Amino acid sequence: MWMSGSQGTDTLTVATEEPTPGRRNRRRQRKATSGSTTDIQGKSPFQIAMGRLRRDKVAVVCAVIVVVLILLGVFAPLINNLWHISASPDGKYALKNTDVLEFDGLPAIGPPLYGFDWAHPLGLEPGTANDNLARLLLGIRTSLLVATLATVLSTVIGVVLGLMAGFSRGWLDRIISFVTDLFLSFPFILGALALTPILVSRFGQDASSLGRASFIALIVILTVFGWMGLARLVRGQVLSLREREFVQAALVIGVPTRRILFKEMLPNLVAPIVIAISLGLPAYVTAEAGLSFLGIGLSGVPSLGQTVNLARSYYEEYPLYLFAPVTTIAILVLALNLLGDSIRDAFDPKTRR
Amino acid sequence: MFGYIVRRLISAALVLFLTSLFVFGLLYKGPRDPARAICDSNGRCTPVKLENLTKAMGLDKPVLTAYGEWAKGLVAGRTINMGGSANYECSAPCLGVSWKTRTEVTKELVQKYPATLSLALGGALLYLTLGVFVGVLAARWRGTFADRALVTSTLIVSSIPYYLVALLAWIYFTQKFPILPQSTYHPITDSPAKWFAGLLLPWLVLGLTNATQYSRFSRGQMVETLGEDFIRTATAKGQRSNVVIFKHALRAAIIPVVTIFGLDFGTLLGGTVFTEFIFDLDGMGRWGLQAVFTPTDIPVVTATVLVAAFFIIMSNLVVDIIYSLLDPRVRLG
Amino acid sequence: MIKLHRGDHTTERVATTMRMRKPLLALGTAALMALSACGGSGGGGDQPTSKPSVDVSKGGNTGSAMDPNRQGPVEIDGAQTGGIIKVISVNGLNTMDPSEAYYTNTYSILSGLVTRALTQYAYDPETDTVTLVPDLATDTGQHNADYTEWKFTLRDGIKYENGDPVTAEDIKFGMERTMDLQTFPESPGFYSTQYFEGGDSYDGPYSSKGKKTLDSISVDGNTITIKMATPFPDMPQWASFPANGPVPQGKASDPAKYRLHPLATGPYMFDKYTPEKSLTLVRNPYWDPATDPGRTAYPDGYDMRFDVASEKIDQILLNDQGDAKNTLSYDDVLAPDLRKFQSQASDRLLIGPTPCTQYWAPDYRKITDIKVRQALAWAFPYEGSQLAAGRILGVNRILGSELLPPGTPGRVEYENIPGHAAGQTDAAKAKALLEEANAVGTEISFLFSTDDPNDVKAKDVVVAALKEAGFKPKPVPTTIAEFSTVRADPDAKINVRAGGWCADWPSGASWFPVLLKTTDIAKDGLGQNLAAFSEPAVDQQIDDILAMPIEDQAAAWGDLDKSIAEDYFPLMVRGYYGVAQMRGSNINGMYNDLVTSMPTWKWMWLTQG
Repeated sequence: MWMSGSQGTDTLTVATEEPTPGRRNRRRQRKATSGSTTDIQGKSPFQIAMGRLRRDKVAVVCAVIVVVLILLGVFAPLINNLWHISASPDGKYALKNTDVLEFDGLPAIGPPLYGFDWAHPLGLEPGTANDNLARLLLGIRTSLLVATLATVLSTVIGVVLGLMAGFSRGWLDRIISFVTDLFLSFPFILGALALTPILVSRFGQDASSLGRASFIALIVILTVFGWMGLARLVRGQVLSLREREFVQAALVIGVPTRRILFKEMLPNLVAPIVIAISLGLPAYVTAEAGLSFLGIGLSGVPSLGQTVNLARSYYEEYPLYLFAPVTTIAILVLALNLLGDSIRDAFDPKTRR
Repeated sequence: MFGYIVRRLISAALVLFLTSLFVFGLLYKGPRDPARAICDSNGRCTPVKLENLTKAMGLDKPVLTAYGEWAKGLVAGRTINMGGSANYECSAPCLGVSWKTRTEVTKELVQKYPATLSLALGGALLYLTLGVFVGVLAARWRGTFADRALVTSTLIVSSIPYYLVALLAWIYFTQKFPILPQSTYHPITDSPAKWFAGLLLPWLVLGLTNATQYSRFSRGQMVETLGEDFIRTATAKGQRSNVVIFKHALRAAIIPVVTIFGLDFGTLLGGTVFTEFIFDLDGMGRWGLQAVFTPTDIPVVTATVLVAAFFIIMSNLVVDIIYSLLDPRVRLG
Repeated sequence: MIKLHRGDHTTERVATTMRMRKPLLALGTAALMALSACGGSGGGGDQPTSKPSVDVSKGGNTGSAMDPNRQGPVEIDGAQTGGIIKVISVNGLNTMDPSEAYYTNTYSILSGLVTRALTQYAYDPETDTVTLVPDLATDTGQHNADYTEWKFTLRDGIKYENGDPVTAEDIKFGMERTMDLQTFPESPGFYSTQYFEGGDSYDGPYSSKGKKTLDSISVDGNTITIKMATPFPDMPQWASFPANGPVPQGKASDPAKYRLHPLATGPYMFDKYTPEKSLTLVRNPYWDPATDPGRTAYPDGYDMRFDVASEKIDQILLNDQGDAKNTLSYDDVLAPDLRKFQSQASDRLLIGPTPCTQYWAPDYRKITDIKVRQALAWAFPYEGSQLAAGRILGVNRILGSELLPPGTPGRVEYENIPGHAAGQTDAAKAKALLEEANAVGTEISFLFSTDDPNDVKAKDVVVAALKEAGFKPKPVPTTIAEFSTVRADPDAKINVRAGGWCADWPSGASWFPVLLKTTDIAKDGLGQNLAAFSEPAVDQQIDDILAMPIEDQAAAWGDLDKSIAEDYFPLMVRGYYGVAQMRGSNINGMYNDLVTSMPTWKWMWLTQG
C-alpha cells in the first residue's frame, strides 16, 4: 500500500522489514542495553523498551504532543460546546451564513478581512460560516479514530494470517502468501478510488447513515490494503521461531496448536507488532487525509484532508483557512512518526547490535 | 534458477489475472448499473433504450462471459457497441472504449502514459542518485554534527505527508512567487525545453522528498556494511578510505537500496496520483482519478488499475530475479 | 434547453477538481437591497460591497430580434487580423458531432467557429444582444400561414473543408441524423421528432428498421422543405443548431468517428483534437466570408486546452503574462478570486446574464398539498444555499421567482406566493403554512452528491433551514456520476428534485411544454418534467397557446407562468444563473453570447504586436 511518490503508507510494507539506521549514537545505546540486560532482576523486553523510551527526549516530546491531540480529539464536542462554536449549520451554536458572510462567501467577521476574533479563533469557513476551530477539532477526532480502528483491524488480520501461514507451512501457507502478494500488487490509491463509491452506495442509503458508511468504507479500504506487511513479517518470524527448541518441545509433548500459536509464539512477536502498530498509525492518518484530499475519503464527517482540498483555492485570500489543517496534519503525522521511530528503536533488537 | 523464474512468471500472471477479474467483476456487477449511468444523463433514458444499451454492453451476460469477451479483446481486439448504431473498432490490445470520450482506452493510455513515465523517471533518477550520494557521505562522516543534522532533517521531511509538501511547493513556487515554471506536461518530442521546464517542479518535489528516505536508508546500509569484516580487511590492507567506501562498501550496501528502489519505481510507474493531481499533469494517475468522477468511466478505471498492478507485479518480479542473481545468499524457494 | 456543458447544470455539483460552468447574472434591485440588508446585520457594517452589477433584464433574451436580409461579409472597424486565441477550461467537450452537440460549450464552439447551419445568431454590439440572421440558407426561412411548412434555400458555392460541395441533400441528412436518438442519446433532435411530420415514428438513418429517410423533409434543387406535424413558429431558431447543418453522407460521417473530426463549413476547421484534452483550430480555406452574414475570422486559429484546474485558470488570467494575454476562459472565476479580478483587472472581467433558471421541483405525486409546496418555498434558504455552494451572490446566482428568466418576451413579474419576495426565507411563515395544512414534520427527501464538497455544504445549510421551519429533511446521498441518473428515476425514493433549465430560444415554448406538460412516466420516464407535474387543464392551456397566432403567444406564456404558480405552484424557482468570465488583455470582442452565455466567438480579434 504505497501512496504516490512512495511516501506515507509505504512504511506499512517496507519500514518493518528494512534495516534500521537509528538516529542515536550507537555506542551509547549499546552501553544502555548491556546495562539493563545484565541486571539481575530480570526485566521483560517490554519493560526494557519502555525504559529506553522514557530516556528518549524526542519520544517524550512527541508522546506529549500525541496525547494532547488525542485529548483534543476525544473532547472535541465538549470543547466546541464550551466555546460556543459549531461545525455544522444545524449545530446548537451555528451561525446563519447569510448573517455573517459577504456576497462572495468570505466571512464578514474575523479573518481574513477583519481582525482576530476570540469567539472564532481560526475564523469561519467561507460559504457555510461553520467554525474552523470546531471543524479542526472534529477532524483530529476523525483522523485518530479512523487510524486507530484501521491499525487495530489490520494488525489483527496481519498477525492471524501471518501466524497461520508461518506455522502451517504447506498449502495454507502457499494460499495465504499468494493472497498477500495479490493484495500487495493492487495499486492502493486506484483501488481505493474504484472501491469507495461502491462501498458507500452499498452502506449509505440515506444521509444519516452516510457518515457511518463512508467511515466503514474507509476503514475497510485501509485495512484491506494495510495488513500485508505485518502478515509477511509475522510469517517470517514464525518460520524461524518454529525451529526453536521451546516450540519443538511443545510440539513434541502435544500442546494444542492454538496454544502454541498464542501462548508460545505470540509473546515473542510483541516487538514486531508494537513496531508495526506505531508505524502504522501515522501511515493511516496520512492515508485518511490523503484520500479525503483527493475527494474520495470521508463525507458528511469533518475531515482535515477534505478541508485542505476545499481551502486550496483560498491560499492567498484566506491563508488561515488552509494552513490550520495543513499544520495540524503535519504535526500529528510528524509526532506519530517520530514516536513510532523511537518505539522501533527501543523495541527492535537489531538496534542493539 | 530457470525453474524459479518460470514459477515466478506463472504466479505473476495469475496475480494479474485475478486482479483484472476482481476489478472487472466489482465494477460491472457493482451496486449501480453502469448502463443506467450512461444511458442518458438527462432523463430521457427510456426502458427500451436501457435494455438496448445493457445488451450492447454485454451487461446482461454473466460476469465470466463478459470477462471472457473483454479478455479476448485484449488479445485479438473487438468491436464495441454502446447502444445505437455507432460501432467502435477497438484493436488489440483492447482495453475497451472510454465511455466519456468514446476513444480507445489503449490509445488514450499511450497518450497519457508519457507524462507518468517522464515524471517517474526524472523523479526516481533524482532521488536515487541524490539519496544514495547523501546517504553514503553521511555514513562516511557518521556521528558528526552534519550527519545528525541530516538524519534528523530527513526524518522530519519524510514524516510529513507527501501531498502537503507538494501542495505547498505548488502554491509557493508557482503561484505566490512564480520562480519556477508552471507545471504542465509537454511531450518531449514537441519541445524538450518545455518538457523539462514543465516537469521541473514536480521532479524536484518528488525527487527531494523521496531522496530524504533514500539517504536515510542508504546511510543505514552503509553503516552496517562498514562494520563488516571484509571492509575491515580492506582497510587493514591499507586501501584509501574513499576506495574502500565507494568500491567495496557501496557495492554491497547498494543491493538492498536498489531492491527498495525497484519496488518503489514500479509503484511510481503505476501512476503518481497525488503529484499529477496537485501539479495538474495529464498522466495516468490523474486520468484514473478523474474517471471515477462524473460519470464513472469504468473501462478507464479498469485499465488504470490493471496497468498499475502490472507495473507493481513486474517490478517485484524483476527485483526478485535480479536479487537472486546478485546475492548468492538468497535461497530460491 | 441547451445543456450547460459540464454535464448537468442543475445543482451545485462541482467535483473537487472541477469547476462547473456556471453563468452569471447581476442582482436585481430588490435582491441587492435584501443582500445588503442582511450583510449589515452581520456586524461587518462597513464591509466593502464592490459587487459587480449587470443588466439582468437581458437574461432570457436570446435573440428575439431577427434580420432575414442580412448579408456577409461582416467586418469590425479597427479589428486586426492574426494571432492564435488560446482558450482554457476545466471541462472537456462532451461530443463534437454536430448532430449531438447540445451543451453550451460544444454548441457554441461548433456554431461560432466550425460548422454552419441554416440560420445563426450574430452579435450586435449596439444593443449587446444577438440577432437571428441567415447562415447557409439565403434567409431565415419561409413559412406558410399556420407555420406547418418551412422552406429554406441553400446558398450556392458552399464547400466543406475538403473542397467537396455542400448539397441540400447533406442538410437533409444532417437533420435526419440528429433525430437518431439511439445513436445520439444526448442530441437535441427531440425537437424534430416532436414537430416534424412523421418524426415521432422515425428513428433516424442508423437505427431505423425500415425506411432510412424522413419523407417530411423534401429537397428540390437547393430548396429544403419541411412539413410539420403541429405549428412550429420557432423553426428559424431551431435551424440555428449545429444539428441542422450539412453532414456528408455515407462512411464519411460514421458516428463513431465523425465526433472526432466534423467537417468544417465555417471559418475554422479541426487541426488536432484530443478529447477531454485539447483542440486546435486552423483556418478553413474553403470558407467564403461573402456568404456569411454572422461570422468574422480575424484570428489565425484557436488553441483550446481542457482539463486545466480552476485555480490555475484564474492565476494565469490574473497574471496576464506572455501567452496569457491571448488567453480566455469561459469558466466562471472562483468565488475567492472575484475580488482580486475586480480590483486588479476589472476591465478584463465579463459579467453577464444567462437565459437559465434554477429551481427545486417537488414531486407533484408525492407532495400533493399546495400549502406544503408553498411552505417549502418560504423555508428554503435561497441565499444561504448559494453561499454554501461557493456561488457568488448577485454574480453567478441571481434571486428570482419567475420560471421565465428576465428578458423573455411577455414575462410577467409576480410574487409566487402572496407576500413572498424573490429569495426570501421566513421559517415562521413556513411553519404557519405547515400547521395550517396539518403537515408539520413532512419529510423532504432530496439528492446530494457526496463527492462534491460544495454540494455537501449546501445540503447542510438546506437541512438546517428546513428543520427550523418544521420540515423533516432527509438528504439522500448519491455521487456526481450518478446524480442525474437517480434523479431521472421516477421511482427514486426522493420527493424533491433539483433542476435547472436554459432557454433554447426566447419563448415560453422552450419552457412550459418541456418542463410542465404531462409526460407518460411509464413509457418515457420523467423527461424534463422533474416535478412529475400533471394537470390536464395546464396541458390544455399549453396546447392552446401553441395554437395561437405567433404575436399573441409571448404575452400568453407570461400569464401562464404566473397562473401556474398561483394555482399549482409546481416549481420552486431559486433564481437565475449568471457568468463571470475572464480574458487576457489582447482579446477584443469577447462579449456574452446570450444564446449560450458563452463568449461571442464570431466577434473576437487579437491586438497585435
